[in-house]
Amino acid sequence: MGTTKIYTEADLIQNLKLRDDRAFGYLYDNYSGALYSVILQIVQDSDLANDVLQEVFVNIWRKIDSYDDSKSRLYTWLVYIARHASIDLIRSRSYRNNAKNQSLNDDAHVSSVPGQVVQQHVDGIGLRKVMLNLKEEHRALLELSYFKGFTHEEIAVMESLPVGTVKTRIRSALKQLRDILK
Amino acid sequence: MNVNDYISSGIVDSYVWGLANEADTKDVLQKAISNPEIAALLHELEIKLERFDMANAVPPPAGLRESVFRKINAIKNHSSNHQNIITMNQYSSQPARSGGSRFLVAACIVLLLGLAYLSYQFYTQKESLEKDKEELQAKLTTSDSILNKIAEEQKMVSDPNVTVVNMVGTQVAPRSSANIYWDSTSSSVFLVVKNMPKLTSDKQYQLWALIDGKPKDLGVFDVNDEKVILKMKNTQKAEAFAITIEEKGGKPSPTLEKMQSMGKTKAAL
Repeated sequence: MGTTKIYTEADLIQNLKLRDDRAFGYLYDNYSGALYSVILQIVQDSDLANDVLQEVFVNIWRKIDSYDDSKSRLYTWLVYIARHASIDLIRSRSYRNNAKNQSLNDDAHVSSVPGQVVQQHVDGIGLRKVMLNLKEEHRALLELSYFKGFTHEEIAVMESLPVGTVKTRIRSALKQLRDILK
Repeated sequence: MNVNDYISSGIVDSYVWGLANEADTKDVLQKAISNPEIAALLHELEIKLERFDMANAVPPPAGLRESVFRKINAIKNHSSNHQNIITMNQYSSQPARSGGSRFLVAACIVLLLGLAYLSYQFYTQKESLEKDKEELQAKLTTSDSILNKIAEEQKMVSDPNVTVVNMVGTQVAPRSSANIYWDSTSSSVFLVVKNMPKLTSDKQYQLWALIDGKPKDLGVFDVNDEKVILKMKNTQKAEAFAITIEEKGGKPSPTLEKMQSMGKTKAAL
């Protein structure tokens, strides 16, 4: 699967839908890093992120026919799949049991635990990094919605806020990102 | 709807970040179609997100690429195996197509069985018809001979030289009756049994001519051929005819006590 060819987005999509090996090679070579970054920020564990990334590319292979380029750019669709696969993982029982142990370790301030190393690492990348520029109330809602995958209604209950307020604050937070992302 | 308000609401952003619910997603996509400003914002935000994530990309471990494509190839092979299975199904569906020809074969067998049955029927019918034919032929022969004899009898009856003697039953055998046709010119005597009881195989009827009061043997006969003309012995003269039951082969003189039938000739009258 050589990736010497450079695709326009339309070409890439067309060839992906044909299940073309070179197109998938190109997709992996050009998008896996961006997706891996998002996955890492959510699952906060490199081994689990490896699993999720593989699962994501297999899912892309399987579901490419359902991608509709009139609704979004390819990357918007790819990152949506990656984010949801990651959120599915952190909501799984095994992940939560593991995370409980990690938080115990956090409480004990043991910095040699690998998971914590990743934690410190992912705080310095992507959205997690730029989020630090936002107000605490906005940051908290992005954490719950973007990184934890809770719905507006769930967050409203958790934060004891009206659903409308949750929605408005999330939109406001995202709007501020327009200027920060550049 | 105020476009500026919509643009500044952040709803388009929530769609791009994947945080919009279904209703908001639908709304944004519809507005993007009808409003170029919203479409432009949507595109701008998608590009911005993509560039941001690309800029923040973390290269996955080197071995992961190979692992990903191994999994994809496994799916491909599985699905191509699956295609093979479909192909084989299609192949094996040729017998399904020949479910039609299987039907034809079955139909042919049924037809053959039917024909065999019919042939057997026809053969049996032919056999039975041939048998019938032979029987009819035999009956025809018999009928012909009977008809000839009747015709002969008729000829004799209508011949003015032939004397018909009606033999009536005696007291011993009141129901016995027969006709004697006596041709006086040729002296020929014919007998037609009308009603005579059958005899045991050791007995026979014997016809007599009475000439000057003395019986003359005219021969013996059986009544197996009823109503058939029997040619008896000739006699030139006869006053009467008599029939007796005698031992098989007949006797030189009649046993008159067993006289069954008697008739006088007109000539004698």
